[in-house]
Amino acid sequence: MDRKKVGEELLKRLGREKVLTDELDLMYYSYDSSFLTKLKPVPPLAVVLPKSTEDVQTVMRFAYENGINVIPRGAGTGETGGCVAINDGIVLDLSTFDEIVEIDVSNMQVIVRPGIVHAQLNKELAKYNLFFPPDPGSSQMCTVGGMVANNASGLRAVKYGCTEQYVLGLEVVLPNGDIITTGGLKSKAIKNVSGLNLTKLMVGSEGILGVITKIRLRCWPKPKARGIAMAVFDNLDDAPATVLEVYQAGIMPSGIEILDSSAIEAVNQFKPEIGLPAAEAILLFEVDGNPPSVEYEGNTIKEIASRRARLVEWATDPKRMAELWEGRSVTAAAAARVRKDGSRIFAGEDISVPLSKVADTLRAIRKLGDKYGIKVVNYGHIGDGNVHSAPVINPENPEEVEKVQKLVHEIHLLAIEMGGTTTGEHGVGVVRREYAQLEHGLAHKYMQEIKKVFDPKGIMNPGKLI
Amino acid sequence: MDFRNLPPVREQIMKCVRCGKCRSVCPVFAEIRTEVAAPRGHVFMVQMLRDGKISPSNEVYERLSNCLMCETCSINCPSGIDIHELNAAARSYIYENNPHLGKELVFDTLWTKPSLLKAAAKLMWGAQKTGLQAFARRTGLTRLLPGDLKKAEGILSKVPSRSARSILRTKNSPRGEKKLKVGYFLGCGTDLLNPQVALATVEVLTYNGCEVIIPPEAKCCGLPHIANGKLETARLLAVHNIKIFNAYDFDYVVTDCASCSSALSSKNLEFLLGGLKIEEEAKSFAARVMDLNKFLLEVIDIKISEKAKTKKTKVTYHDPCHLANAQGIKKEPRELLNRIPGVQLIEMAEANRCCGGSGTYALTHYDLAMKILDKKMDSIMETGAQKVATACPSCMMQISYGMKRHHLAGEVVHPVELVSQALSSQPARK
Repeated sequence: MDRKKVGEELLKRLGREKVLTDELDLMYYSYDSSFLTKLKPVPPLAVVLPKSTEDVQTVMRFAYENGINVIPRGAGTGETGGCVAINDGIVLDLSTFDEIVEIDVSNMQVIVRPGIVHAQLNKELAKYNLFFPPDPGSSQMCTVGGMVANNASGLRAVKYGCTEQYVLGLEVVLPNGDIITTGGLKSKAIKNVSGLNLTKLMVGSEGILGVITKIRLRCWPKPKARGIAMAVFDNLDDAPATVLEVYQAGIMPSGIEILDSSAIEAVNQFKPEIGLPAAEAILLFEVDGNPPSVEYEGNTIKEIASRRARLVEWATDPKRMAELWEGRSVTAAAAARVRKDGSRIFAGEDISVPLSKVADTLRAIRKLGDKYGIKVVNYGHIGDGNVHSAPVINPENPEEVEKVQKLVHEIHLLAIEMGGTTTGEHGVGVVRREYAQLEHGLAHKYMQEIKKVFDPKGIMNPGKLI
Repeated sequence: MDFRNLPPVREQIMKCVRCGKCRSVCPVFAEIRTEVAAPRGHVFMVQMLRDGKISPSNEVYERLSNCLMCETCSINCPSGIDIHELNAAARSYIYENNPHLGKELVFDTLWTKPSLLKAAAKLMWGAQKTGLQAFARRTGLTRLLPGDLKKAEGILSKVPSRSARSILRTKNSPRGEKKLKVGYFLGCGTDLLNPQVALATVEVLTYNGCEVIIPPEAKCCGLPHIANGKLETARLLAVHNIKIFNAYDFDYVVTDCASCSSALSSKNLEFLLGGLKIEEEAKSFAARVMDLNKFLLEVIDIKISEKAKTKKTKVTYHDPCHLANAQGIKKEPRELLNRIPGVQLIEMAEANRCCGGSGTYALTHYDLAMKILDKKMDSIMETGAQKVATACPSCMMQISYGMKRHHLAGEVVHPVELVSQALSSQPARK
């Protein structure tokens, strides 16, 4: 069916308020935050802005009957091309389907529609002294639906884990229009082992099995106190060794971040007033909990880090904490500005390796950067081995683009070789799909079989994840 | 200047990683909520224009102009992109390819000639005074106005009978010893709609030892032109004003209007005039331009006697985008208000969120501007303040309309009006 006809049919079924068909409007949906769509944006056949599960069902039934692809989209902040209609199709912009259906304080749960923005949800939950712990860097803009679809996490995953740990149940519209509820039709139980765990299957499925229209999340009580420790190292290997010792001391910080020398240099270049000490690595530990435990854990971290670090500081004063954390909070922006005629790109940006291999991985990435003559700024969540590499190139220079694509490929292979994975939290989408077989072997075939069960016609976000 | 060679177009487009941070802060996106209103989407469209993938059509202009030019996206962009400049550049490029007689008349003929603009204001005053405006409303004649103007004509506040220029002298001597020679950039909005602000400005400056000169040849700062696709006219106006003001050898060029000071700032002049011969002159001019609040605080270090007989007043302050976002001036107006005896400053929620006025935006996008305004009015009402202080004629007009729309009794003032009142209620100097 051609674009015009698809638009007409959707308008007939859903009305002008919920459907975009103008060619110019569609162009705005041709990208996400990936390098792939920066190079090659692809507009969809139409965009639908559903306001209810029934709207989604209407779209799915129409698409199923006519064999048209459907691509769910949240805020379009993903870095993998996952929400872009690379093989044509209807984009479902779920960001305005964003109601908080229920905050069930007595059961510490919240039921939301997929479009609710993460920070907004936590703002509402804070009124009840609750929070939804996974905290992606894009908290201010990303949708919870997108987080579920990508099993997102963030700085505090080291203690609080990923989105999957908090999803208790989902409402999903399947490609044929069927609506299923996972986690129990009427269940509000926190523990539930009845049936196959379709909730876990859906979390992180990147929209290839169905469209998530309702999410039941577990919330946690908000910690009362927080502290930050900064440790400066002259030897890169000392950083992961210190992290390990902290764990061995029975301490589980809420965040452990690393800036390597490339990131320190970028931050100091961007904001000299922050004045990070020149070093091989800086670690930032965040501890949260009740005040006495925070104090105890902070002091223990200080003592452990002092064995190897050149400089250690522990702070609970909000102003000083903000100052210590500032280096980390501006790293992404600093990477973006490290070169006047360049930009950081989101590619090869999310590998995850065993903690014991973090230092080797960082060194290897630096070497790869040198090999291709490309500046790479490295930072990340060392607590769980998740390294964010930011190659900085001029994306409009074809030669640099070609080189960086080779570099990124090598970074992905490096991750697998180190016993890790190509993505720790950002997802696969289009850009890392080529590694699926290498990463999963025979299991990959079974993933494809599972998709066929849900999506026999292959219309649900094709060309992504597996 | 060729659109593709403008520095932001040449250097910044590629920096956008479409992270979406701009979506989360944009007041227009918060209302429309589709990607079509996202600032990163505008950046993308400018890229498509630059690369010739779309043609410079009115349809593209329409989408790009759904932006307040409040610069909230630009100051929040992790990649440091001046999104508003890209947008302005693209609007101008599209306009050049689709000239429009009505716009030429307004922005090239009327708004570049102070005498004509004044005559238009006089006509408006006449219409309001004689009841012609009310008659036109009653009889439905205002419905003949194009586009959103028919709804928006009510925003235009009561036009005073006399402009500030017709009241004030060109040269205003300081009281006592002359400390500084100040050029007063009297913007169109203050001149024609808020002459009381201009009188207060001159009063406060002369009281504090400034010789204040209002160059009669000065013209509009050019910001309305930048926002409406008339970059070339804005360029000509900037060059004209630079030459006029530089000829006086002022110590400072001061303006009470946030939009004017941002349009005359080095950042904006670099955007407009970068690479042109006049660049050096522009730099020397811009170095002397200062917002009035900042000037009174940092240069004059104004002091008001505690004995000033001022009434206790609850005041809340709204940050004009062109002051807070474009120039980072947030604490100065507040500090100035705090120096006024009797003023109790109450912060409103999201004081630096745009009020939706944004110069001509409220006239061309009435419904959206009202939604944005209503949020601002909620914040204002929560404070219980008797007065709303702000430092931009467009914000003053929009918030005054908000007061009317919500049947509120409060008054909208420029901080300098309160300063002037306080100074005049001090015990006489010995």
